[in-house]
Amino acid sequence: MVDVLTVLLISILAGLLGSLVGLGGSLITTPALVALGVPVKFAIAAGMVTIIATSSGSASSYVKEKIVNVKAAMYLEMFTIVGAIAGASITSVVPAKFLYFFFAAFLLTSFLGIGRLGRDEVPQAVVQDGLARWLELEGSYHDKSLGKDVNYKLTRPALGGAGMFVAGIAAGMLGIGAGAFKVSVHELILKMPPKVSTTTSSFIIGMTALAGASVYFFSGLLYLDLAAPMMVGTTLGAFLGGRALNRIRSSTLRRLFLVVILLVLVEMLYKGITA
Amino acid sequence: MKVRGRDLETIISYILTVGVLVSLAVEAVGLGYYATGESLQVDFTSRWQTSGNDFFAYAWGTLLSFGEGVTPLSLIALGIVLLMVTPYLRVLASALYFTVERNPKYALISLFVLAVLTISLKAH
Repeated sequence: MVDVLTVLLISILAGLLGSLVGLGGSLITTPALVALGVPVKFAIAAGMVTIIATSSGSASSYVKEKIVNVKAAMYLEMFTIVGAIAGASITSVVPAKFLYFFFAAFLLTSFLGIGRLGRDEVPQAVVQDGLARWLELEGSYHDKSLGKDVNYKLTRPALGGAGMFVAGIAAGMLGIGAGAFKVSVHELILKMPPKVSTTTSSFIIGMTALAGASVYFFSGLLYLDLAAPMMVGTTLGAFLGGRALNRIRSSTLRRLFLVVILLVLVEMLYKGITA
Repeated sequence: MKVRGRDLETIISYILTVGVLVSLAVEAVGLGYYATGESLQVDFTSRWQTSGNDFFAYAWGTLLSFGEGVTPLSLIALGIVLLMVTPYLRVLASALYFTVERNPKYALISLFVLAVLTISLKAH
């Protein structure tokens, strides 16, 4: 079995690596701990609490800069929290074997984000539907790289809500943020500009994680001596990774991303087959 | 949007920053204190397991436990409680803000999120 210092160290490394390759939260920390022998459900429950810290911490400055669309987030959270409560309830009862395969399958959604790296255009001429207008789903933010204010409108909130419900189920089941999936829903369905999409996703993940954690808290799966070093380590690692990010070439990051995804994928499939 | 000269984004950002920093600090102190003990094994014993059926009762119990002395467990439990309270306070602030702003649509949306979270935190 592991000790607290090992969990702390592994979480720092996983958080650092995760923030470098754009896989936030627990998507790497959880499989890393599972590889050390931590039962997958315990790692998932601790991971769910951990991402409240990582996502809320990273979202706070974007909220202040008004890049996060708070209204869109509040609307979409109605769906993700219900999904997360359902997902966490499923994990509490299903056999662990099933979770390994679901984790591996959901990991593939991370590829949704890689083609988007570096792309930064704002959707033009978005025609809002009636519900989007009623929900006042529009906004503006100051884009520092463009040096101007960007105005945008969102659309199709009903379909977006359904997508976020699915994202919430996956997040709750696996104790992760499901960020790549959420960002895809924001951009492909709601037509959110990329900067607004990624920052609003971080913001929403904190609330989704609380909803999932509210189930794990009483499920008998949450152990504080695992959650505490995981939370401190992952957050510290993500902070350090964020500072190092600008010094590493993006081609190196892409290769690193593929290696990390492949390693985690193989590990989870192996665990699933041998469980 | 401004209430008493502050906009919602500033209020939310403040809640998130303070909540995360304070909970991390408490957790780090708790872990440091724990590291001075004999065993650092994560052994999954019931002592470290969260239990009960009401998060708010657990949070209150955690606070009261400090009356009997400060232990690594009480500090670590407090850190997790403070972390979970952070997004909860963020929705509560949004609900109050939209109510004061007389924006019934978003006051109701915030209240829905708050109600679902409250039920899930209280009713297990």
